[in-house]
Amino acid sequence: MTIEKTEANGRLKAEELTLNMGPQHPATHGVLRLVLELDGETVVKCTPHIGYLHRGVEKLSEHSTYFQVLPLTDRLDYISSMSNNIGYCTAVERLFGIEAPERALYIRTMTGEMARILSHLLWLATHALDIGAMTVFLYCFREREKLVDLFERLCGARLTVTYPRIGGVKNDVTDEWLDSLFEFTEEFPGRIAEYETLIDRNRIWLQRTKGIGVISAEEAVNRGLSGPTLRGSGVAYDVRKYMPYGVYDRLEWEVPIGKNGDVYDRYRVRMEEFRQSNSIIRQCIERIPSGPILADEPKFVLPAKERVLNDMEHLVQQFILMTKGPQTAPKGDVYVATEVPKGELGYYIISDGTGKPYRMRVRAPSFVHVAALPGLCEGNLIADVIANIGSIDIVLGECDR
Amino acid sequence: MKMTFNDFIKKVFFVEIAKGLALTMKELFTPAVTRQYPKEKRNPFPGARALHALVRSDVTGEAKCVGCGLCAAVCPSKCIHIYTTEGSDTMKVVNRYEIDVLRCVFCAFCVEACPFGAIALTDHFEYSGYSREEFHYTKERLLENWDKYMAGDKGKIYFERFWGPKEKDIAHSKPSVAAGGGA
Ligand code: SF4
Ligand code: SF4
Repeated sequence: MTIEKTEANGRLKAEELTLNMGPQHPATHGVLRLVLELDGETVVKCTPHIGYLHRGVEKLSEHSTYFQVLPLTDRLDYISSMSNNIGYCTAVERLFGIEAPERALYIRTMTGEMARILSHLLWLATHALDIGAMTVFLYCFREREKLVDLFERLCGARLTVTYPRIGGVKNDVTDEWLDSLFEFTEEFPGRIAEYETLIDRNRIWLQRTKGIGVISAEEAVNRGLSGPTLRGSGVAYDVRKYMPYGVYDRLEWEVPIGKNGDVYDRYRVRMEEFRQSNSIIRQCIERIPSGPILADEPKFVLPAKERVLNDMEHLVQQFILMTKGPQTAPKGDVYVATEVPKGELGYYIISDGTGKPYRMRVRAPSFVHVAALPGLCEGNLIADVIANIGSIDIVLGECDR
Repeated sequence: MKMTFNDFIKKVFFVEIAKGLALTMKELFTPAVTRQYPKEKRNPFPGARALHALVRSDVTGEAKCVGCGLCAAVCPSKCIHIYTTEGSDTMKVVNRYEIDVLRCVFCAFCVEACPFGAIALTDHFEYSGYSREEFHYTKERLLENWDKYMAGDKGKIYFERFWGPKEKDIAHSKPSVAAGGGA
């Protein structure tokens, strides 16, 4: 508060202090800049400024073939690149009217849930660190390491995987890989219990999270929130249940929901999602069928490498698909939403029949969630801003695109 | 809010904090999971995607690359530059093959695209330099990378991973060394 002597009566005049939080603030999870107007410790007005991480992904994709867009989608939500890839591939497949084989769908569901666990682990780690629980941070990274190692064994990359392909996935999973993943799912529930021992009942944690940043169910829906942020308010909306993709409709799992819509409930929802994801992965490992991992659709899907080496037709097809993209893409548009760890990620793709998308629009959950931030912060204390940013789980790569 | 006797006891004796501390104490006596990086290293898993190499042919001792340009066309970050001319016997000659590694996103699309198995991503990830020029890899340097990091069995395993049959029946086949093996 800036204080200056005023007027004749000699009283002090107080006015709001403008505080610039970010873009390089450790608690804003990326390059989010918040301009806060403060009255004492109370936030009067909160204005998010975004765009520091804008790379023009949507525009870039208009100049790339459907195949080349794939690595761009990795860099939207770089914490769970696998989910973005899966969403994009599902959207393009629906546009082309092709279907990935059964085995590939199982692999996608499995890896998609691994990405969810990875993302939630990072969320828990940083959220807890912001609020002051250092130990959880270290424990979460221990488990994260195991999962990214599995990604590395599967596709050679740890973070930006570029693993699914239009019409299937890149490499097949081996028995050994599945065994290692199964081992992880055996031990993981114990680990979740450990995190809960540390913070679930901790009085500092409870005071920092209970009753903070409350969004009512109605307001959450009106603001377009999705994912755990919406479910924390008690709305059982999950794209995986309502518009199933992959093999989610064939597995048994539940949508955990909260009740009060505060930071603590959103935390609880994500902790329960750990368990659900874990059980989905186990079911996938048990039921995964054998078979091909790439659809047999010569017009849209890259031919298998050994065929390219051995016959002319496939070589030509490989050249055309790689340089110009599919030449017989149907005209029209498609919107496909998938449930990524942050919420509902939608791809709206317009095709004009050429090998490149005419327009690709990404409906990013983080973008919508940042817009809800002023509503959460205004009228509350400045310390709660940190808890709120953590609880809506944003990643700015996706928000700014 | 009314507090039960149990809650009261828990609150007074800091039960939840004691439990948390007991857990951290327990972890104190488990083996450390961190690695002291520059001193202790973990080998990357086979097929890890890092620095590029041009494959040296066993037969000719030269690069396998024929300069078809497919890798340059498919590269999403447009960091491969190929300059070719017509040689004396009307064959295409690759004069220059350059990769600007600083732009690369390591998607391995070049490897996937190449119809001759002429380019690979090695698992060598610790390259650094003081100037941009050091990351401008020419054909000679890329061939050198192959000799350094991929020659012998390693290259074979690598190519089995990328070129092996995709439609492997997991129920009836033994997992290949390449895809499943640890470090
Ligand atoms: S790995 Fe990807 S970005 Fe790098 S050179 Fe190959 S195609 Fe280009
Ligand atoms: S695709 Fe292979 S053969 Fe063609 S230019 Fe690239 S490295 Fe050479």
